[in-house]
Amino acid sequence: MGHSKRAWSLAVVAVALAACGGQLSGSGGATSTAPIVVDLVGTFSGQNADLGGWAWDGVSLAVNQANAKGGVNGRKITLQKYDDQGQPTVGTDLAQRAISDHATMVYGSDLSTITLAMIPTLTAAKIPQITSGQAPAILAQGSSYVFLDSTTSGVFDQTLADYLVSKQRLTSIAMVTNNDAYGKGEHDAFLAELTKLSVKPTIDRVVTPDQKDFTSVLTDVRDTSPKALFIGAEEVETGLIAKQARSLGITATLTGGAPMGTPTYLQTAGADVAEGTIMTSPYLDNNANARTRAFATAYRKAYGQDPELHGAKAYDGMNVFIAAMRKSGSDLSGPKLIAAVRSVSYDGLLGHFKFDSTGLGLHATQIGFIKGGKVVPA
Amino acid sequence: MIRVGLGKPLLLAAMLALPVFLDLYKAHVAVLIMLYAIVAIGLSLVMGFGGQVNLAQAAFFGTGAYASAILTATYGWNPWLAAPVAVLAAGAMALVVGLPALRIQSHYLGIVSLGLAVAFASLLTNLTVTGGASGISRVPPLPAPGIDLTDEYNYYYLVLAVLAGATALGLFIAGTTLGRRFRAMRDDSLAAAAVGIEIPQYRLLAFALAGLLGGAAGVLYAHLVRYVSPDTFGLGVMFLLLAIVIIGGRDSIWGVMVSAALLVAARDVLIGLQTYQQLVYGALMVGTVVFAPSGLAGVGAAVRRRLPDRWPSIPLSLVGVGQGKSSPARAPRRSPAAAGGPPAIQVTDVTMRFRGVLALGDVCLEVPAREIHGIIGPNGSGKTTLFNIVSGIYRPNGGSVLLHGRDVTGRPAYTISRAGVARTFQNLRLFRRLTVLENVMVALDRDPAYAHARYLLGPWSVLRGERRYRVQALSLLQELGLDGAAGELPASLPYGLQRRVEIARALATDPTLLLLDEPAAGLTAGELDGLSAIIRRVRDDGVTVLVIEHNMGLVMSVCERITVLAHGRVIAVGSPVEVARDRNVVEAYLGSDLPLEDAM
Amino acid sequence: MTGLLQTVVGGLSMGAVYALVAMGFAIVYRTIGLVNFAHADVVMIGAYVTVTFFLTARLPFALSFLIAIILTGALGLVIERILRPLESRDLDLMLIGTIGFGIVLESVAILVWGSFGTAVPTPIPNVPLHVGGVIVTTYQFLVVGVAAVVMVLLFLFLDRTRLGTAMQAAAMDRLAATAMGVNVGAANALAFAIGSSIAAVAGGLVGPLLYVSPGMGASIGIRGFAAAILGGFGSIPGAIVGGLIFGLIEAFASSHLSAYADLITFVVFAAVMTVRQTGIFGERTGDRA
Repeated sequence: MGHSKRAWSLAVVAVALAACGGQLSGSGGATSTAPIVVDLVGTFSGQNADLGGWAWDGVSLAVNQANAKGGVNGRKITLQKYDDQGQPTVGTDLAQRAISDHATMVYGSDLSTITLAMIPTLTAAKIPQITSGQAPAILAQGSSYVFLDSTTSGVFDQTLADYLVSKQRLTSIAMVTNNDAYGKGEHDAFLAELTKLSVKPTIDRVVTPDQKDFTSVLTDVRDTSPKALFIGAEEVETGLIAKQARSLGITATLTGGAPMGTPTYLQTAGADVAEGTIMTSPYLDNNANARTRAFATAYRKAYGQDPELHGAKAYDGMNVFIAAMRKSGSDLSGPKLIAAVRSVSYDGLLGHFKFDSTGLGLHATQIGFIKGGKVVPA
Repeated sequence: MIRVGLGKPLLLAAMLALPVFLDLYKAHVAVLIMLYAIVAIGLSLVMGFGGQVNLAQAAFFGTGAYASAILTATYGWNPWLAAPVAVLAAGAMALVVGLPALRIQSHYLGIVSLGLAVAFASLLTNLTVTGGASGISRVPPLPAPGIDLTDEYNYYYLVLAVLAGATALGLFIAGTTLGRRFRAMRDDSLAAAAVGIEIPQYRLLAFALAGLLGGAAGVLYAHLVRYVSPDTFGLGVMFLLLAIVIIGGRDSIWGVMVSAALLVAARDVLIGLQTYQQLVYGALMVGTVVFAPSGLAGVGAAVRRRLPDRWPSIPLSLVGVGQGKSSPARAPRRSPAAAGGPPAIQVTDVTMRFRGVLALGDVCLEVPAREIHGIIGPNGSGKTTLFNIVSGIYRPNGGSVLLHGRDVTGRPAYTISRAGVARTFQNLRLFRRLTVLENVMVALDRDPAYAHARYLLGPWSVLRGERRYRVQALSLLQELGLDGAAGELPASLPYGLQRRVEIARALATDPTLLLLDEPAAGLTAGELDGLSAIIRRVRDDGVTVLVIEHNMGLVMSVCERITVLAHGRVIAVGSPVEVARDRNVVEAYLGSDLPLEDAM
Repeated sequence: MTGLLQTVVGGLSMGAVYALVAMGFAIVYRTIGLVNFAHADVVMIGAYVTVTFFLTARLPFALSFLIAIILTGALGLVIERILRPLESRDLDLMLIGTIGFGIVLESVAILVWGSFGTAVPTPIPNVPLHVGGVIVTTYQFLVVGVAAVVMVLLFLFLDRTRLGTAMQAAAMDRLAATAMGVNVGAANALAFAIGSSIAAVAGGLVGPLLYVSPGMGASIGIRGFAAAILGGFGSIPGAIVGGLIFGLIEAFASSHLSAYADLITFVVFAAVMTVRQTGIFGERTGDRA
């Protein structure tokens, strides 16, 4: 049968793999001028690819500005880009990669589900991780190595619920959320806030992140005649739900969190549909103050488009870490770096950052409307 | 004496030493390669060997992983207890997916299995117990006294051990009777049933094997990555597995391993160029199908044929394994039918309709044991339909069929085959991708499906059986003058020889009743004489023979009695001489009053 | 009752799309004998071409639609040439080959249009109309209307024109058709072109209903293929009936247990196929020994 010859060919493949494998694993001790490796894990392909793109833009702007000023304590920062493809499994592979890269820190992921998948591996390896995700489940993991670059769904939804119920007297609210970590977080947080205000949603339905047709769910929503529709999903899906809601004759005010402040939502839903959306976000306006204006100018110059929340978050998050790295000096090991991060007090685009023991640095957010195709503060 | 090639021990040494040379990440990739290889071996068994289009293999992988994750992370079970349960769960899932395979095949089965895989993904994404779209994290590692199995390098050896087991199982099945039966079923399930292979059992068995292997890999995956989510087992993984199996060579276990290594490694290398990687994958798949349908294994075989046979080997001596023992020539296990017993076959009032068209109407046939009986009639008179009913391929609309007094009406073909009926086919149905020798060997195995438990309980008996089949098959081929063609594929033989191989295969099942459907078609005069001699010899060995033929010379010289069919009815029965002079017969054939023997 | 009717409306509009996809599968299969798993990705290409002319080039939707149909049909001719060697292969090889080709198409789409995808506004103002207590949007009417027109055109073509009849002949019996002077090779290429054009119709129509992305073929393709098989693979009326029924099953499953719609739909499909092996209008081809 010739098994021996096939076995030979496999042996050859194995040896070849080993040869490519290269280095025996040794500890890469950083010398005083070696670059600082930062791994950015983001979603660069698929339906949520805008999230990775914005994170990359924000982080690399911060890194480039720092490097232009001579780096951190004389060391340049090398930013490595990895695509998690929107899949948690790939995220776990990339966490392994970060360990292999001897990364000083990981920025990632922009999706809460993937962030959660990466935490055990990175924390076990003592690699600090800052994420654009906002699901409460992230901090609930209890890892001291994990930080959020904005705030949690809990804070977002507290602000929103309060505005809708107390200020706008909208008490007939329907909920449609998806069941990934972000959507689930939004669902639980918003529901908790409504309960605190003694409001019960008219209907509470859950969809999946890949769903494209929401007719049956929205038909049920329509039957409850709500005055407001709260959507908890990522940008594109939120837009699709909004669009289909309007085409089914639902006239309720659309409302939700950060995803509704993005150009993606506007484009997907269509300007007519998005008009009048009430949303909450810590970053609404590029013209708010001198700092945001400077940021917007630099961003426009580098990328040819206006920044929005996600780019701003990423910029802030990276800058907090850069400040922490400066403070930490030559020892950038995990335990030292996270202590340094917690000791930093930073005024960013989103507000004032001061990280507590849980990894939360920002504690407030604002309300905005969509008027004439633009996001304006309330 | 068994010679063990140096290749395998060297490979083992290389695989054992590999982790020393790999950094942590590459070790992780190596472990993933091995896991995918295990799943792919399962897919190869069910699809490459068994011929079942199974697009749900990734779902079996997922079932094992999720079952283990749920039991350990959510319910706190000990992972070593959860593991076998999870593997069995995957096997059960595979049986569920395999149920439609009992009724539908090929692209129908493909889309149904794909649909069930989508249904499975829907289940994963929605159930609370599976964690929905977020999956299950914090899956505990496998506990082992003294060994840290969270260490990638240690885990490598665990997975290597399981892969070695899976490979051994795969190769064992592939090279022995179970593998042959799968392949026969794949090549022609009708002919396979006619040699006694219980098709439903084997289809389910193929799926079960795929499920168990996929599940085992899933369990190992769950405790390696310690996080499971629906995307891990979706369409992307399914296509990767398909690519691995096809590019490796559909029924080659070694090929699967090499292509798993190449494709997964390539995927990792191209991780930054994901779109190009997809492009390359897709192009590779198309290219393989168009230019090298036998995959890497086929390429390897072609290369090997050109290389001189100089590989070093180590002589080993193993006591008692086939040492000089030559089995006696095939002794019929069935006692020849006693004279004066019930007729070999008794067909009473059999009627068969196809959508309103009457193929057979109230047909009666009685053939005593050890008779050579001819069935003749114009085209379309229902002769082959009659054979199909007797051999169990069709169930008659009315009437009964008794074999040696036993009622077998409507029983499936494999049951009737096991009751002692063998046949050849009008349009030649040899197993295309089995050699001539294998065609005969597969028919020699008369054991029922459950006898394959021996694979686990007594593997040596399987190997002994192999030796026996090989010797018996060669001797049978020799009797029929076919031993020179033993290693050939049927398609490479001239038509006349192929017909003889079909007869050899039929005889290998040790029948008491042999149905020959137009055995003389396409034979030369010399071959015809040989055929007559074979038929007579077979009858002398105690077999009753029914022959459908148009060649009157053969019919008249060899048959003792003849039944004549026309338009689905029996119009005459008697000796050749009587039938030739029967007015109805002459009219049916020639439409005139000329006696047949004059017309010849 | 209105709930039921509303579900039926939803089921019929998606069902019309599935029917179109199924027809494309069926016509290629019956004429050439090729089970083409890449067909769904041709639907995707059709959708993208429509979108490119509609959104990027800002041509009127109807014009973009027509251009997409013609271009995709032409692409079908190219694909036929590439996939020709697969027609004679074993089924599982054909499967892999066409799946592989589908992956290539998807990768090309990502390279050309990016992986992110586009939402497509409806070409006409999508006004919800109240018809007897049920809400039907104007776009849904358009989808069903266009699909019906295509089906009628296909029937007329196959039944009333010489070219169409020739194609039917080639489908039924290649040898006899050649003997009668039918150019079977041309018939095959034409079948592919027609199948791809119909795919483009499906793609162009479904874009505004859902979302256009390189991966959209997977979901629609599985359903279209299942619909074709449900109706009896190779039968054009079967494809239409299968598509509508599939759409309805899915709509009912969605309305009652929306989370498990996929599960229910495909388990029902598996059960139906297991019982009625050749689909609704399928031919029972007995395996004659």
